Amino acid sequence: MPSFDPKKITKIHQHLHSHLPSDPALRVKALETILVEKGLVNSENIDRWVEVYADDIGPKRGAHVVARAWTDPAFKARLLADGSKAVGEMGYAGPASGHLKAVENTADSHNVVVCTLCSCYPFAILGMAPNWYKTAAYRSRVVREPRAVLAEFGVELSEDTAVHVWDSTAELRYLVIPERPAGTDGMTVDELAKLVTRNSMIGTDRDLKTGGV
Amino acid sequence: MDGIHDLGGKLGYGPVDVNEPEEPFHADYEGREWGMARTARVSNIPIDWWRHTRELIDPEDYLNRSYFDSWAQTDMAAMIDAGIFTLAELKSGISETPPLGQIETVDYDAVLKHNGTLASKFEHPVDAPAKYFVGQSVITNAIGHEGHTRLPEYARAKVGVILSHHGGHLFPDDCAKGIEAAQHLYTVSFKATELWGANASPNDSVSLDLWESYLDAS
Repeated sequence: MPSFDPKKITKIHQHLHSHLPSDPALRVKALETILVEKGLVNSENIDRWVEVYADDIGPKRGAHVVARAWTDPAFKARLLADGSKAVGEMGYAGPASGHLKAVENTADSHNVVVCTLCSCYPFAILGMAPNWYKTAAYRSRVVREPRAVLAEFGVELSEDTAVHVWDSTAELRYLVIPERPAGTDGMTVDELAKLVTRNSMIGTDRDLKTGGV
Repeated sequence: MDGIHDLGGKLGYGPVDVNEPEEPFHADYEGREWGMARTARVSNIPIDWWRHTRELIDPEDYLNRSYFDSWAQTDMAAMIDAGIFTLAELKSGISETPPLGQIETVDYDAVLKHNGTLASKFEHPVDAPAKYFVGQSVITNAIGHEGHTRLPEYARAKVGVILSHHGGHLFPDDCAKGIEAAQHLYTVSFKATELWGANASPNDSVSLDLWESYLDAS
């Protein structure tokens, strides 16, 4: 059982700092080795998890959700009303999608997502979070100067465009629905999904390219 | 806890490195740690106690270590604390107790299917009716406490508006102490000017998901 004693944890952290190598690869290896010894993990299964998150589960799932919302107004209404249910309907339920909230960009508003306290992220539909999302620079700055951070990503917004920042402080996870680019009327859901970038679903990208340019 | 992890609004951090590769894992150890976090047969470490354990990493270590390295450090500390293994066992790689049995090897499709079952729900019944309603003006607590909490420093003693009510959700401040309790959860929207002053854009807002005891009527 956990002790729930913060002072004990602080002491353990100090011991770990002095007794383990500083190379993260060696530290993670040490953890895997003892967990295998204890019969608590199976290394082959870890290989499979890495493959699943490299191949099947990633931003293309979120992109498909967005493309469907663009083309199917009834689905979009369900997505905005209950993101978890709508994503589950597409077979995309998974870690950190139990309470999913979709927020929609418009011509005069832009949404951007952060977790200032840790780095919460909707893994099930966006896959692994990019490193920048987990950095102190992004977490500290995007709530205070979102326009400056967005400019670093190449997103320039006029003063009239309202910026809404969503700090994931509870178990809700956020998905930004970017605007559908103009000139894509005849495109299929699969074609549209290819236009949706990972960053546009976090909010650090805005004007999607229609391809071929 | 007013710790190093509470980064929102802190000044002095540089530009964001926007040019990283698209690959989901940038080093092998990241994937190993991710896989362990998804599969380790360790069920009695509540997520909020795990998050608090991460916040308690020495501040210099917290800022200098990569994300998955800090996950590994958190796992190690939480598991040593819970008696799952000892520091000596971790260092030697040799268990002093017999293994708990073999874990069955599973294939790709089984993992994909298992992943689909991991959409945890945090709703939990609350006896009391909700104190606040959508559209109501509220003010956040001015002072935090020493334990785990999800009210960041930058949003303390600030006036916001209830944007939505989510019903009862497990309350992290209690769960991190091993007490399973729930409170009403709300999304609260703050004007950027309320948080950061007159230099912020009057059109901008920051919204946070906050539990009822973080709030008072304003």
